[in-house]
Amino acid sequence: MIRFIIKRLLVTIPTILVVISITWGLIKLAPGNFYSGEKRLPPTIEQNIRAKYGLDKPWYQQYGKMLWQIVGHLDFGTSLKYEGQSVNSIIARSLPVSAAVGLLAYLLALVVGITAGSIAALKQNSKWDYASMTLAMLGISLPNFVLGPILVLVFSLTLYWLPPSRWDGFFSRNIILPVVTLSAIYIAYIARLTRAGMLEVLRSDYIRTARAKGLSEKDVVIKHALRGGLMPVVSYTGPALAFLLTGTVVVEKIFALPGLGNYFIQASLNRDEPLIIGIVAFIAITLLLMNLLVDIAYAFLDPRVRY
Amino acid sequence: MEVTRVGSLSLEFLMSYRLWQQTIALVTLALVVSGALSCNVSSKNEEFFGKTVAPERNILRYVTGDEPESLDPVVSSGQPEARIYMALYDGLVEYHPKTLFPIPALAERWDINNDSSEFVFHLRHNGRWSNGDPIDSSDFIYSFRRALSPATASRNAYLGYYIKYAQEFNAGAVFVRDAKTNEFLLAKDFDPNSPPEPLSMKSVAGDGEFKPTQEEAKPDADSEFHRLMHSPLRLTLPGAEKKRNALLEKNAKLKAAVAGKEFVPVKAEDIGVEAVDKYTVRISLVQPAPFFSGLLAHQLFRLVPRKAVETYGDQWTQPNHIVTCGPFKVKTWKPYDKLVVERDPMYWDAGNVRLDEIQFFPSQDNPTSMNLYKVGEIDAVLNHTVPNAWLDVVRTKKDYMDGVEAGIDFLQINVTKPPMNDVRVRKAFNLAIDKVAWATWRKVVKPLTAFTPEGIFQGYPQPKGDQFDPERARQLLGEAGYPVTKNPDGSFSCPKFPVKEVEFTFNTQESNKAMAEWMQAQWKQNLGITVGLRNMEWKTFLAVRSALEYKGFSRGAWGADYMDPFTFLSLFYTGGESGTGWIDPKYVAMLDEANRMLDHEKRYELLAKAEKYMIDAQPVIPIDTSSINWVKKPYVKGMYPNAASLYPWKFVYIERDRSKWDYGTPSLSD
Repeated sequence: MIRFIIKRLLVTIPTILVVISITWGLIKLAPGNFYSGEKRLPPTIEQNIRAKYGLDKPWYQQYGKMLWQIVGHLDFGTSLKYEGQSVNSIIARSLPVSAAVGLLAYLLALVVGITAGSIAALKQNSKWDYASMTLAMLGISLPNFVLGPILVLVFSLTLYWLPPSRWDGFFSRNIILPVVTLSAIYIAYIARLTRAGMLEVLRSDYIRTARAKGLSEKDVVIKHALRGGLMPVVSYTGPALAFLLTGTVVVEKIFALPGLGNYFIQASLNRDEPLIIGIVAFIAITLLLMNLLVDIAYAFLDPRVRY
Repeated sequence: MEVTRVGSLSLEFLMSYRLWQQTIALVTLALVVSGALSCNVSSKNEEFFGKTVAPERNILRYVTGDEPESLDPVVSSGQPEARIYMALYDGLVEYHPKTLFPIPALAERWDINNDSSEFVFHLRHNGRWSNGDPIDSSDFIYSFRRALSPATASRNAYLGYYIKYAQEFNAGAVFVRDAKTNEFLLAKDFDPNSPPEPLSMKSVAGDGEFKPTQEEAKPDADSEFHRLMHSPLRLTLPGAEKKRNALLEKNAKLKAAVAGKEFVPVKAEDIGVEAVDKYTVRISLVQPAPFFSGLLAHQLFRLVPRKAVETYGDQWTQPNHIVTCGPFKVKTWKPYDKLVVERDPMYWDAGNVRLDEIQFFPSQDNPTSMNLYKVGEIDAVLNHTVPNAWLDVVRTKKDYMDGVEAGIDFLQINVTKPPMNDVRVRKAFNLAIDKVAWATWRKVVKPLTAFTPEGIFQGYPQPKGDQFDPERARQLLGEAGYPVTKNPDGSFSCPKFPVKEVEFTFNTQESNKAMAEWMQAQWKQNLGITVGLRNMEWKTFLAVRSALEYKGFSRGAWGADYMDPFTFLSLFYTGGESGTGWIDPKYVAMLDEANRMLDHEKRYELLAKAEKYMIDAQPVIPIDTSSINWVKKPYVKGMYPNAASLYPWKFVYIERDRSKWDYGTPSLSD
């Protein structure tokens, strides 16, 4: 187990370096630059800016400097667009916002999704099953850039109950609408995954054995069926959590949240090289770690899996 | 100044208005079904848009646009930041809240010489930084030199190029000195077409230089530096050796003269900014520029704290280091969240600052900002925030701000590629657009035929360009070799026209798409030519446009940097900068001549003549003069909807007495 984890962690490092290099190359290939604007700058001023940020150096020097900074000092540099703000500080500041919204959304999704999915599976083909699966279908097919504005329209602009957007700290009413918007699609997926997993498990031999042993239905469902039925949800959780933690562009945009996703999209549009690379590297690391955690979780949940 | 925040992914982009309306319909339906409608749905007859309750405290909550790039006033060139800088930093002058003409700020008064090439500013003695340190002329010298330094690399530096040797300093150029005699080579000896020198380059004793005013009967003290400024312009060459040698290779006379001489870099101390005494700043220009005092309200020329900048480097704008000199100082700054500024008791005019606090919220998304406004979470939004599709409703409310704007929309033409290198073709495409119909459809703009915004510059005899005339357009196309024929069904076709060589390129945004489609329809209808549309992401678009890699047309827009027609006409002043490829030395000479005019009226006349000349060459197709388009709660007073959307914050206050509220757009006349 330990050897497995160490091996996986070691593989992570070259992966990240490749991700960084490809990202860097793509930024260099993208037309435009961070300082361009409606009025073209006089060549002298453009020259000053390029010299100030070392953009007048040959590409291999720029690449080497960037890589050395990251590998040698774990420093992603300073944002080009937001002068004087280091990429590390931007990530440190925006990650908690994204993570809070993402985690809350996923918690909500787990609670609602697993409940709905289990009920649907246990009462297969009942009206409960159809109702929750219809809702799940809606949740999957309704994109969050449609759902978000609808919620805002109803709960903010019409009923005046909740603020329509903006961040106001972790413990504020502002967090409700983004969390609900974000969780909708995950509720739907988790409900469907739980239902499918549970149905398969409920038909298996060991459940029949458990029932035959005379266990109560509660024990059968919670101790045996749910544990096996949740396997698909677990493998889904890894990547889903990684994306949720590192920010969701659309929801952060709709609700004007100062999260990682918002910075990421702005950085790309602004051609803010250090910030793009920093956020991409960070997301890549999170994604790899989450997948590793999922693999570890498998070992605990499924007795057949051994590393 | 950049007025539109084009670089953002907006909700409008994700969600077309039709989809938005369908959503609303859907939700309304849902509400009816659930019975929630009985609860509270805003009625259509409300006087104002959304919740309108004056706040208890004197706090203004405002969406100024995108996240500010930096709190350092020399960094950003955008309007959203300009408004923040206006709260935090003072300059020699400030914009008048209604007319935008310069009013005294840290300078109590100023004198201008007879040909507007030298300005002397007299500072007030009670100016202070937010840390209590006094402000004197040395602060201005430092700030101006820093703003123009190549190491600072400010994008706005070009605005300071009117100052003598400022451009050369910013470009890292060198003077040429004879080591033996210590004499510098002069520009006029090498440029046969050098323009007549302004008074600031003639000897100080020269007559007619000084124009006495009521306060001041004689010129300010002379100095060695002043005499240096009043000596003929020195020759400057590029600082980079490669470039310099290339230039010398082309000019044998210059090469011979330079041989054996030494190159002296143009230093910060050489630019035409001088502290005459502790409270007097003298600025010498390289050319007459009557609008220069107005330009000094721009963020580039606002005061920055030397000690903080030198101590903390690029970290000086962090809340724990920053020192400011405006009516407000930084209280808290959470990037992408909010910037809170509070009244600065050290400010020289603190007694007249009426707001306790301003909260700036960043938001690039128009519907998001409007939602915040509607529920009463903010008191005002930035210009151009009301989405076009919402206008029908919002315009009827008494908190909608309607008025002229010093900004224009136009199409740029790549004149370097056929068939657009033929002025007749360019004219035909211009004549085939019904701009009056366009303005009616867009609701808040005014049709434009020339290149300066209409109704902004008082007394400027704006030339008239061609009006909508499809008949002449077809005729001109025919003359250019692309005859337009009428089909039996009344439509037109132009089979010989190389349609593949012309496109309309624009950056992805709903309003730009609408414009492109409109123009496409006009050309199809009136010329029988279907121009292809090509949209691209903002930064890609900028790169393509400035490299002239587009075919035919591209979208353009510009807002005034200062209140003078020259801020628009100078877009074509130096070749290639406009992104059209149209370079005409005659046009540049015409502008130079106009700026040398001492008489204001005569200058305007000559500028108008130059504008006419440019419009006749048609490197652009003017489309419209923009109008302001924003909302503010009626209890926000003193925030005048001026033409540049810049608000000197010390005049703004919260009015709780309903009878004194603004019911409609406040008047801009005194």
